[in-house]
Amino acid sequence: MSKEKLTSLAEAIGTVPDGSTVAIQNMATQSAPMASVRELIRQGHTGLEVVALVGGIPIDLMAAAGSMDRFTGAAVSMEQFGLCQAYRNAVESGRIVVQELSETALNARLGAGARNLPFLPTRGMIGTDLIAINPDLVMVPDPFGGPDVVACRALIPDVALVHCHRADRFGNLQMEPTAVWPDIGIMPKAAKHVIATVEEIVDTELLRSNPEKTILPGFMVDAVVEVPFGAHPTSFNPRYGYDTAFHRGWISVSRDPEGISAWMQRYVYEPDTQEEYLERVGGTDRLEALKRWEITE
Amino acid sequence: MNDKPSTDWTVDELMVTTLAATLDNDDQACNGMASFIPVCAFQLARLTHAPDLVWLASSIGLDARPERVPASTLEAPLWRDSIMYLEQYSTFWDIVLNGRWLQKFCVGAAQLDRYGNGNNSVIGDVYHRPKVRLPGTAGLGDMGSIGKRLFFWNPNHNPRSFVEKVDFVSCAGWLGGGDERERLGLTGGPELVITNLCVMDFHTETRHMRLKSLHPGVTAEEVQDATGFELLIEDSVVPETVVPTVEQVGLIRDVIDPDGMRLREFGR
Repeated sequence: MSKEKLTSLAEAIGTVPDGSTVAIQNMATQSAPMASVRELIRQGHTGLEVVALVGGIPIDLMAAAGSMDRFTGAAVSMEQFGLCQAYRNAVESGRIVVQELSETALNARLGAGARNLPFLPTRGMIGTDLIAINPDLVMVPDPFGGPDVVACRALIPDVALVHCHRADRFGNLQMEPTAVWPDIGIMPKAAKHVIATVEEIVDTELLRSNPEKTILPGFMVDAVVEVPFGAHPTSFNPRYGYDTAFHRGWISVSRDPEGISAWMQRYVYEPDTQEEYLERVGGTDRLEALKRWEITE
Repeated sequence: MNDKPSTDWTVDELMVTTLAATLDNDDQACNGMASFIPVCAFQLARLTHAPDLVWLASSIGLDARPERVPASTLEAPLWRDSIMYLEQYSTFWDIVLNGRWLQKFCVGAAQLDRYGNGNNSVIGDVYHRPKVRLPGTAGLGDMGSIGKRLFFWNPNHNPRSFVEKVDFVSCAGWLGGGDERERLGLTGGPELVITNLCVMDFHTETRHMRLKSLHPGVTAEEVQDATGFELLIEDSVVPETVVPTVEQVGLIRDVIDPDGMRLREFGR
């Protein structure tokens, strides 16, 4: 008999210890577990090391809220919406330490974590300054006589936060193939715990009609929570597009402490439910436009 | 088809056609964030001299057919009508790292030095207290070291982006010049730099960046003034960059990027 994994967001995020390493699915403006990130901030978690391939607005919000003191990943950018200013300020003032990794180095670190290896090698980064600044990367000789490679120490996040299209109550997670690029291939497999939000909870029978879309079995998942539009304002292909106006709204306040504080009240602290959050974002009209991938300036 | 030189080309179109000319019919190419000029170049190459070029749109959608260049080069509208979706850990990097495919890579970097080393990490001397925190190395830290032929584009040629020495090497170019790359066992390396003023390549022995051609109307002095290091200028008369044809200009303006998204890269 499978174990029940269905829970509330408050309960699931409440299990994340302060100071832990939290891996987040994200690719610039794509596919971030935003409802989980807002809940982390609401609950006042601090001292987090955040891991992401290419972090966007979730990193900026956590930097602004003081949730994180370390970023590990390949880049932080909101692409067309520009640099993450709160994150930038925090790094430039020394409040956040960055462990910058090339994409293959992050993959190697997580891959080693997932497969219980001390490290995996990559040929990337040789000749760059990325190796010398990083104690988790070491040049090592090829035992078989080829050129040196870069050993990348295993990274085992305490928690992985993911957002998926659907799951059953036992935590079997499904994603549409158009959205699997950002980190899903390895990140949750390396983490000790996986907290998943999903657009909808469905009967297991429905998963059986498309088993090729299941990306993680329930026994690897610790908690599953139904959160429609849980990736907003990032895109969640094919279900909805990214929210241009919302990204721009955040950027317009993200350099100013008072603006940040008012924004956090309005979108993070005050809404008690996802429904209330979505009302504040613009309600049904806005959500319908996002489903049509309309750019709403 | 009209292969006469255009008389009303603009510099964004010239950058697109120059980059497109580096691509061959049996190439594969991929793009990342905010890469409008490369995306236009891949599309143009496919529609003209390289119909079999396989483009990995956003590195996610293989052989995509977007209706027009959308507002983001890293979102689903770009990888419309793909024939395959790639997952980064298990598929994309297998294609890239193997060495047989995707021989060329287009690089955009905030700073570039005389040996073609790129920096997208930090501005300033102290890595952990930078003056400016840039986005980060992303895929560049890999692409510079795994044998790719590197083609740089920069629509804003100025002394802040072309510097004597990059503050941090996040993409390996010719390193300290000469045979330093070879000595580390690295193959490939920087080949061409295409800017809004000129095209540059690298001296085959010293690996020093060298003026290859000037865009019409631009002088060598203007390029030198916009460059933070002494540029190698070998010819007393520097050739002129080949301008786009009437057909190419028509394709870029009317078919590939009618909304002019490529112009967003200028004036930064």
